[in-house]
Amino acid sequence: MRNAIVLIVVIVVVFFMLVAGRRFRNQATPKTTLTTNNIKNAMTPDFTLKTIDGKEMKLSDLRGKAVLLNFWATWCGPCKIEIPWFMELEKQYASQGLVVVGVAMDDDAKDVVPKFAQEMKIDYPVLFGTEQVADQYGGVEGLPMTFYIGRDGKIVKRIAGLTSHHDIEESIQDALNTPAGQGQTPHALLIPQVAQ
Amino acid sequence: MIKRLSAFAILAAAMAFAQSSSHAPKVEAAPINPVTVKRGASAPVQFQFRVAPGYHINSNKPKSELLIPTVVSLDVPTNISVAKVTYPVGEDLTFPFSPDEKLSVYTGDFTVNAFVHASSTTSNGTYRVHGNLRYQACDNRACYPPTNVPISFDVTVAKPTKTSSTTKKNPAQSPHIHN
Repeated sequence: MRNAIVLIVVIVVVFFMLVAGRRFRNQATPKTTLTTNNIKNAMTPDFTLKTIDGKEMKLSDLRGKAVLLNFWATWCGPCKIEIPWFMELEKQYASQGLVVVGVAMDDDAKDVVPKFAQEMKIDYPVLFGTEQVADQYGGVEGLPMTFYIGRDGKIVKRIAGLTSHHDIEESIQDALNTPAGQGQTPHALLIPQVAQ
Repeated sequence: MIKRLSAFAILAAAMAFAQSSSHAPKVEAAPINPVTVKRGASAPVQFQFRVAPGYHINSNKPKSELLIPTVVSLDVPTNISVAKVTYPVGEDLTFPFSPDEKLSVYTGDFTVNAFVHASSTTSNGTYRVHGNLRYQACDNRACYPPTNVPISFDVTVAKPTKTSSTTKKNPAQSPHIHN
């Protein structure tokens, strides 16, 4: 009799947790500028962040360019696979208007990120990310997370996690094929930092 | 049998619940058995964890200084200390994102062992120890920010028993039932 009661209680608890989990999943999306439901064609949340070489970069200053905005961290293995591809593809498509921007999400970024960028010979701007910017972009829970932004400042695609070189190149082409829109012409572009 | 099934069912449901949230913990901590320790002596304590299927976390000794090691941290009351924290050796595995490099990781269940020591001046009583497991998880395509799993357990400090110098007794054993 006692075992039967225990079993019934367990079944009720398990049922409750599964139902609650399902409900919680539906409500868990944080109130941020971007959510998984409004990514495509959403206006890119603007931000100003510091680069690892001490300058400031405002994303909207790149309007008119296609932007590959990659959130990454030094502790992220999959991110290290994509970074060389980004460098290669930026060289290939820079003349058509592609700009690659990395946003490092390390907690102790100031110590490790410049060293890592130098070791990886990252030749595009790398910014120190903040929680606030991550929230603007929907939380950026998993890394890498890459946003492909059209010349008009609208998001063409978001890819979460490691993807293939082919998918990255295709997404870059999609971003380059967007109209310039009515945004600003690009100015004050940062000179890419070249690792010595 | 019912108890065991119940424990697994609740753990499975807890993990299903946890994974349903967007900031799902990738590691669950099992309840920690209370520790009884005599003043001036030490007693073992085990911390058991389960990494969710499909994920891995770095071991305590990852192969790169950039990777964040898995570490248990404890905030112990005065006169109680935790020592000899022993982590399991990580599995050397390769992943699709790093096919040429083996990473030292934990997957599935793993246990961290330690010893709780009560100094000879500790007052008798039960003390709650709080702490956390800090880890950084990845799956085959993405990595997730470093996270803490809270843990806690009770330490009961008892008087040291006086042993007779003339008679030798076998150490006390808890009864075991073998099925």
